Amino acid sequence: MSDLQRFALLGGMNLFVHRTNKFKTILAQLVFHRALRREDVTATALFPAVLQRGSAGFPTRQLLAYRLEELYGSELSAEVVKKGERLLVSFCVELVNDRYLPGEKGLLARCLEILSEVVARPVTEGQAFRLEYVSQEKEQHEKVIRGLVNDKAAYALERCLQEMCAAEPFGVFKYGTLAELATLEPENLYGFYRRFLAESPVDLHICGEVDALEVKELAERIFSFPRNGAAEIPVTLVRKQDGEVRYVREEMDVNQGKLVLGFRTGIKYGDDNYFPLLMYNGILGGFPHSKLFLNVREKASLAYYAYSRLEKHKGLMVVSSGIEAGNYGRALEIINRQVESIAAGEVSDEEFDNTWQGLRNHLLVEDDHQELVVNRAIDGELAGCLEDTDGLLARLAAVKPDDVVRVARDVKLDTVYFLAGKEGGRG
Amino acid sequence: MKGVLENSMLQEKILWQRVEPGLEVFVLPKQGYNKKYATYSANFGSIDSHFIVEGENEELIVPDGVAHFLEHKLFEEEGGNVFERFARLGASSNAFTNFNNTSYLFSCTDHFTECLEILLDFVQSPYFTRESVEKEKGIIEQEIRMYEDSPQWRVFFNLLTALYREHPVKKDIAGTAESIRQIDEEVLYKCYRTFYHPSNMAVFVVGNVEPERVFSQVAENVGRRGYRRLGEIKRIYAAEPKPPARDCVVQELVVSQPILNLGFKEEEVGFDGERLFRREALTGLVLDCVFGSSSRLYNALYEEGLIDDEFEAAHVAEKDYGHTLIGGETKDPDRLYQRLMEGIRQAQAEGVSAEVLAHHQRKLMGEFLKSFNSLEFIANNFPAYHFKGINFFGYLETVRGLTLEEVNERLRTHFAAGNHARSVILPKEKPGA
Repeated sequence: MSDLQRFALLGGMNLFVHRTNKFKTILAQLVFHRALRREDVTATALFPAVLQRGSAGFPTRQLLAYRLEELYGSELSAEVVKKGERLLVSFCVELVNDRYLPGEKGLLARCLEILSEVVARPVTEGQAFRLEYVSQEKEQHEKVIRGLVNDKAAYALERCLQEMCAAEPFGVFKYGTLAELATLEPENLYGFYRRFLAESPVDLHICGEVDALEVKELAERIFSFPRNGAAEIPVTLVRKQDGEVRYVREEMDVNQGKLVLGFRTGIKYGDDNYFPLLMYNGILGGFPHSKLFLNVREKASLAYYAYSRLEKHKGLMVVSSGIEAGNYGRALEIINRQVESIAAGEVSDEEFDNTWQGLRNHLLVEDDHQELVVNRAIDGELAGCLEDTDGLLARLAAVKPDDVVRVARDVKLDTVYFLAGKEGGRG
Repeated sequence: MKGVLENSMLQEKILWQRVEPGLEVFVLPKQGYNKKYATYSANFGSIDSHFIVEGENEELIVPDGVAHFLEHKLFEEEGGNVFERFARLGASSNAFTNFNNTSYLFSCTDHFTECLEILLDFVQSPYFTRESVEKEKGIIEQEIRMYEDSPQWRVFFNLLTALYREHPVKKDIAGTAESIRQIDEEVLYKCYRTFYHPSNMAVFVVGNVEPERVFSQVAENVGRRGYRRLGEIKRIYAAEPKPPARDCVVQELVVSQPILNLGFKEEEVGFDGERLFRREALTGLVLDCVFGSSSRLYNALYEEGLIDDEFEAAHVAEKDYGHTLIGGETKDPDRLYQRLMEGIRQAQAEGVSAEVLAHHQRKLMGEFLKSFNSLEFIANNFPAYHFKGINFFGYLETVRGLTLEEVNERLRTHFAAGNHARSVILPKEKPGA
C-alpha cells in the first residue's frame, strides 16, 4: 500500500505524495480543475495540445521529444477528463526512477522542470501563442472531435449521455464543438490559457519511491508560476429520474448495433449509499458472474459484451451491449428484467458474495497501478472522502444485501439509445 | 531441470523448472504487489490450422478460427462455467488468442493456491457438447461483427491480406461467421489433444508468491493426469512467395478520416531463438530512429497535418513470417504514402549516426524498464518469447549490443524495393460532427 502525505504549497497548490517502493518509475501528475461549461470546454481541451508543441526552452515538438527521450524515455502527456460536471486537465510525466539507473541522479528534478516549463512557459509571439502551432493543433483537434464516430461503442455511450443530459452541463462533450473551435485564435486562446493557469485550482500528485520532503522542496522551487486558484466550480447536479423514459434511435452503416441504457441513481461518490450502489452495479453488470453477462451473453447468446458501469460523480449508471439490430427488443427486455429483479430482491448469496470478493480484489489491485493510485486520490478529494484502501474495504464490507435492494429502487431508467445498422447495410 | 534467469539492471529474477511431461513453469516473485497473476499458455494460435502429429499419418486442416473458438469453450464445464469458480475467490479470469498462442489467465489478491488449481484444472479438462458449441457460435459471431466495425482492426487485417498470399497470418484470428459454423465438438477435441499437451505449454506466475510451492503444485496437478509422451507436432504452412500478394487494399467504412497502413514484408524467415530476437530489437531501433517522435520525418509529417500522435511504426518477428507496419489516421493517404517512401529513402541515404544510435538505445532501455511495472506485460510476453526460444529478459543486453554497422545495414535492406504493400480505409459517408 502506498503511504499518502499531503502538503499545501506556497501559491495554493496541493501536493500529494504517494510513497511506495514497488514501482520502477515515478509518476508526476499536475491536475487543473475547471467547471464543465459549454462556452469554454473547447478552449480547455485545445490549449494543452498547443503547449505540447514546445516551450521557451524547447521551442519545437522535436526538441522537446528529443530531450524527453534523452532522459531514458520519459513520457510527457496531457489529458482532459470529465468527472461529474468538472473538467480535469492533467499534465503527466512518467520517468524511470534513477535508483534503477547506475550513475544517474536528479532525473525527477529534470523531468519536473520540463513539466513546469511546458505548462507555464509556452512559445509566444507577443501576447499570443505561435500562430503556426495554433492552426495546426486546431486542425488536429477538429479530427479528434470528428473522430468520436470511429469507435462505435464509445460513440454510442457518449451519444446516450449527451441525449440524457442535454439540459445539464454533464451533457457537454469534453472535446468541445467545431463551432467553438472555429472561434479560437492565437490571441484569445492565449488569453484564456493565462486566466486558466492563474485561476484554476491545481494539485500535484507524485507516486513512486521518493522522499516526501525532498519532493515538496522540488515542487515549491519548480512550480513557481503565479496562481490564485480562485475559480469557482459549482457542485455537480445529481438528480433523480422522474419523467418518462426517452427512446433515441440512430442509424449508421455498421455491422453491429450498439445498445446503451442510461440510468439515474441519485447517488454519487462520497454518499452513504455509494458502496451499496457499487455492489448493486457489480451484481448487475460489473463481472462475468453478473446478471447481464450471464443472461444476455451466456444464456441468450445475443452479445459478446454486456456490462454496466457507474459515472460515480454524476450519479448515473450506463448499461452497454453490442447486438444484432434485429435483437433490439429481446436484448432490451432481458436487460430490463435483470434491473427489475434486483429491485425485487432477487440477489442470491452467491451473487452477493462473488461481487463483494470481486470489488475487494479491484480495490486491492488499484494499489498496484500508479495511475489508479493517483486517480483514486483525485476521486476521494473531489467527493470529500479521501480514504486509504483499508478504509474503502471496510465501507465495502459494511454493505448488506438489504442495502443493495434499497438502492436498487432508486435506480431509474432515463434514456435508451440504439445505434442501429442500416437495413441491408451488412456486406 | 531447473534454473534462474537474473537481470541486474531490472533487479528482477525468474525461477523456472521443467515438470513432467515437459511443461515449463516460470515464477517471477514481485514483493509489495497485492496482485498475483498467472497465465497458462498453449503454443497454439490462429495460424496453426494445418498440421500432423508424429506417429499419426493424418494431415489435418481445421476451420479458421478454431484456436479462438477452443479458448472460448474451455471456460465451460459440466454444470457451469469457470468464471463463477474464480468469482467465488474474488479472482478475475480471462483468456486471449493471437496468431501464435492461446493464453488463459487469472488475477487475484487472495486464495492464490486455489486459483492456480482452478486454472490448471480447467485448461486440462475439456468439456464440449454439441449444444454448447452451437450456443457459442452466436456469441463469437457478435465478437466478429464488433471487429468488422473497428477501423483499426480492419486496416490491419487488410494489410496482412495484401502482404501475404498463402501464410495463414493473413486470416482473422477469430475466423469468419462462415468458417466458425463448420466447427464442431469433434474438431475441438482433435485440436485440444494435439496442442494442449503440457510439453506444448507453459505456466507463468508473477506476484508475491513462493516459487517452490508453485513448482510443486503444478508438478502434482499435471503429474496425476497420466499424460503420454507427445510426438513432435509438424505445423504445415504453405510456401509463401517473397513478394506481397497485392500492392494495395482499400475498404470503405464509417470513419471520420482515412487510415493508411504501410507494410514491409520480411524476406528472410525460418529461424527463431536469439538470432530472431536480435533482428527484432534491431528493427525496432531502426524504426525508432526513422519514425519515432523525435525523428525529423515524424515531425515534418505532423506539421504537415498528415499524421497525429497516434502514428506508429512497429515490427513483428515470428519464425515463419515477419513484417513492419507503419501508419495511422491521415487526411491524405496517398500523400502520406509518398512522403513515407521519400522519408525512408532519405534516411537510407543519410544513415544513422553513432550519437542517434546511443540516444535511441537509452530511450528503448528506459521504456523497457518502465514496462516492468506491469505484471500483465511481463506475464503476457515472457511465455510468447519462450515458445520462440527467446529469453525476454535479454532485451536490455540485446539492445545495448546493437552496432552502428548492423543498424545501417538493416535500414538499407529491410526497406527494399518490391517488399511493401498498403492498406487504406476511406470514409464511407460523411458522418455528423
